[in-house]
This record gives sequence, structure tokens and C-alpha cells, in this order.
Amino acid sequence: MLKSDKDTSAKSLRRGGGLEHWAERHLRYLMLAPTVLILLALTIFPSIYMFYAAVHRISPNPDLPWEFVGVGNFARLLSDPQFHVALRNTVVFTLVAVALEFLLGLGLALLLDRFIRRLSFLKTVLMIPMMLPPIAVAITWKLIYEPQFGVLNEIMFLLGLPVQAWAGDVNLAMFSIIVADVWQWTPFVFLLMLAGLASLPVEPYEAAALDGASSWRQFWDLTLPFLKPVIAIALLLRVMDALRLFDLVFILTGGGPADRTKVLSLYIYQVAYRFADPGYAAAISLFVLFVTIVLSTWFMKRMRLAE
Amino acid sequence: MATIRTRSRTREMLLRLSAYLAILVALILTLFPVYWIAANSFKFDIDIFAVPPEWVPRNPTLKHYDEAFIQRPFLQYALNSFLVAIGTTVISVTFGTMAGYALARFSYPWQWRKQISFWILSTRMMPPIVSIIPLYLFFNYFDMLNTKSALIIAYTAFNLPFATWMMKSYFQDLPVELEEAAVVDGDTRWGAFLHVALPLARPGLAATAIFCLIISWNEFLLSLVITLTEQSQTLPIGIAGRVTQYNTYWGEISAAGFMACVPIVIFAFIVQKHLVRGLSLGAVKG
Repeated sequence: MLKSDKDTSAKSLRRGGGLEHWAERHLRYLMLAPTVLILLALTIFPSIYMFYAAVHRISPNPDLPWEFVGVGNFARLLSDPQFHVALRNTVVFTLVAVALEFLLGLGLALLLDRFIRRLSFLKTVLMIPMMLPPIAVAITWKLIYEPQFGVLNEIMFLLGLPVQAWAGDVNLAMFSIIVADVWQWTPFVFLLMLAGLASLPVEPYEAAALDGASSWRQFWDLTLPFLKPVIAIALLLRVMDALRLFDLVFILTGGGPADRTKVLSLYIYQVAYRFADPGYAAAISLFVLFVTIVLSTWFMKRMRLAE
Repeated sequence: MATIRTRSRTREMLLRLSAYLAILVALILTLFPVYWIAANSFKFDIDIFAVPPEWVPRNPTLKHYDEAFIQRPFLQYALNSFLVAIGTTVISVTFGTMAGYALARFSYPWQWRKQISFWILSTRMMPPIVSIIPLYLFFNYFDMLNTKSALIIAYTAFNLPFATWMMKSYFQDLPVELEEAAVVDGDTRWGAFLHVALPLARPGLAATAIFCLIISWNEFLLSLVITLTEQSQTLPIGIAGRVTQYNTYWGEISAAGFMACVPIVIFAFIVQKHLVRGLSLGAVKG
């Protein structure tokens, strides 16, 4: 808080001006108001609506009234095999993709930070994937994975490795999605880590070098602890995004083959639009929202991220 | 002594060499897909399907650019994307900056600051798919489906929390004394914000704006549901529309996809300093 808060009001009081004075005195609320009002309108309304929809059976025919079903839609979750598949796929995707992105992003940042500090344009080049429209990324990888004329199979062939159907193969589809996601989002982790490394203090390292600590020890005992807040932010943002994966799956596999890449967002989309069952879709959405908020709140508290 | 030093120098050399090698591999893996989409955009269809693949287009053509931007309305899609991205960014950054400043500088009764900060962030956690149905009905009710304003409103819901948090951490990093001095010199609180704090936060503003632009330029799911007409659809939807059940128009998609990347990448190179600095100050400190 500004120490001179009160002085200000007194000054403008002296200067007079009714409305101006009022605005200045309530500045703290006026500056916050647009954001709070917009977010209230755009999030509270959908949330209330979702709760309302989730306890009803909604007919695709808009003239028919909604039928109250209580917790019926939520009970359906328990025995819906498609939902279980989507949940498992989402968890697998999130764990594997985020872990790979984290390891590769951190490794790459450490390499660049230690060996080529000056070539900053290289950093920007390495960040290109995260700036591309995910839809363009999805289509690029679709082209690369294409079984007949795709370039990946050509490379496999040149290397004497077996040719695969990639995104179309039951066992490789999820792997293909993960590779494309890792390609697009490792740069984001890389960028955050690079920023974190740039703000490391120098003195502890000098002391450690004097003590003869190996670079491995320095990494474990100094770098990692210093980077902890950045790592926490990177993981939080990537997990939140991985849980809502949609574009890649929508274009690359459409959830197939045999539902192997059907993730929660895609399932909600299908339930709402293809199966025309918005009430049930609302129930699944609420489940996803609930899990995301519980997970991130727990994580933020643990990492002491929110002040 | 001498042998030890030689050994460690050799070791250092080897280490350096393998590091360069690893970075080179990362560069190739990063750039190849981008190169591939660019290369395909200049090939005739028959050459896109060539086995073995044509690593470099042998008969380069602008056919697909003609298809995408002259015969099909990709220019309109790009314009829509552009207008929506600019609109969203202006609204989000303006209000987000004000709110971020308020949360960084003012005190509120009953611990409001902490509660409101957290609530604002939590709205960002809502997966888009969750709010789509209500937003769809909302826009339907107000007869706003298939409008760019609807997209701007929807995207603002996702960008405003982000902008608020970025700007809040920027203002927290600025020393408060300068604003105090301005107030002592007779400026109002609002004036101190406008004339002192805002100019100092320019790198933060730039970084926040870049991220809002990228996010809105690339958004797919909301646009997919809210817009159905050529006059309102954005570039990602236009591109996805060329993957149909019966045919995928690779050449056209490559041309449009490549053109969708170009402005963002050019932009990123121009503002690369702000990009790294922006994140190192903003997001990292939470």
C-alpha cells in the first residue's frame, strides 16, 4: 500500500472537482471493477448455468422442457466406460507429455545457458513451435505421420526401421499425440527455465567452486532449489493445458483408433454435439473443472505460489 | 599436474562438443516440421505425395497460395483472426493492467486482495470446453453467434486473468517510491499510475500483449463452436475446414498454415528481448 494514500485524497479534495474527487478516492475499486465485472459475467454465469444444466436431462429439441434428474448425470459417470477411457487417456497423456516437456526443456535451457549464452536469436528459433497455431501444428504432424507418403516413414525406411501407421495405429496413436505436443510445448518450458537461469545469483556458485563442488553437486544443491518457483509455474501451466488438450486430438486422430486417444475435452465435445446430450456434457465438464481447481489449488498452496 | 590439466581440457572439449551436437539436434527437430510445411506449400499435389519424398520442391509453384488466398476466403479468415486478436488484446491488456496495478498497490478491507487475486487466477483454470455450452447459449440469446464481437468477448474471459496476473507481478517489482514522489509533487494517484508506473512497466506491457495476441490468434475450440460463417470464422477454423471426411487438401492447408505462422514468428523476432524478459519478471515471480 502506498503510504501517501490518504494525503492524495486530501490534496484532490483541496483542488475540488466533485466527480473527479470521488473517482480519485475510490480509485482502488474503480481500477479493479472492469476486470472483476467482466470475469463475473463471463465465468459466474457459465458456472451457474453448468450446475443447472448438469442436474437436468436436456432434449435436443429446444421446445421441450428440461427434465430434472438430480445427480443422475453424475451417477452416469461411474458406469460410463467411455468416460473411464477418456479419463485414463487424459491422465496418461498429461503425465507423460508434461514429464518429457519438463526434462527436455530444462536440459536444453541448461545446455544453452552454459555453452552458448550469446546467440540469443537461437533461443527465439527454438521457441518457434510454441508460437504456431496448434491447428497448423496438428496438420503438420498429420502430414509427417501419414502412413503412405509421410516423411517419418520415409526416414524409418532409410534407417532400416519398420514402417508404422503412427497416428492410425492402436498402440502408437497416443505416442504420436504426445510427440506432437512435446514438440510444440517443450519450448515453453525451455523459455521459462531460461528466464529462471538468467536470474540466478552468482555468489553461491563462486563459493561452491572454491569448495571444489562438482558441477553435478552444484546443479542439485544450488540450481534446482533456485529454480523451484519457475519449475512449479511451468508444471502448473503445462498440466492445466494438458488437461484441456483438444486441437491435436481433434485433427490428428479424432479420438481413435479404438478410442485410444479419446481425451476428456474431446469426449465432452462429442457428448454435447454429436450425441446432443448437453446435460451430461455439463456434468463431465464440472468434473473436469473440479479436478483442475482442486489439483492446482493444492499445488499452488504446496509451492506457496499465491503470495 | 600437467596430465591432469590436459585431461580436464580434453574432457571440457568433449563436453562442449556433445553440447553443441545436442543443440544442433534440437534445432533440426524444431525446424524440420516448419520447413516441411513450407516446402509442401510450394509443391504440386503430385509432388507432395511423392515416394520417396521430395526434400526440396523441384517445381516450385504458388498454386496453393492462389487456391487458399484468392479462390478461397483465407484472407477473410486471416483478417477476422487479426481483428479478434487485436480487440481481445486491447481489452485484456487495458483492464488487466488497471486491475494488476490495483492489486499490486492498494490495500482492501477484509483480505480482499488475496481473495480477489486468487479468484481471478482460478477463472483461468476453467478449461474452455467447460464454458462453451453456456457461452454458446449466451451468445445465441443475444443474437451474437457468428460475430467477431462474440469471439472477442469469449477470448477476453481467458486472456484477462492472465494479463492481470502478469501486470500485477510487474508492478510489484517496480519500486513504489517513484509514484510516491509524483504524488508528493502534486500528481493524483491516477496520474502517478499513468505518468510514472505505466511507462516503467512498458516491457511488461509488451510481453503481456504478445502472449494475448498469440493465444487469441491461435485459439481453436471456442471459434469452432461460436462461428459458422465465412465472415466470422478465424484462420485456425478455416484451416481445419480443409481436412474433410473425404479429402485433405494438403497443399492448400500447408500454404494457409505457413502463412498463419509467418506473422507470429516475425513478430516474435522483433520483440524477442521483451519475450524473455517479460517472462523472467512476470510469470516466474507469480
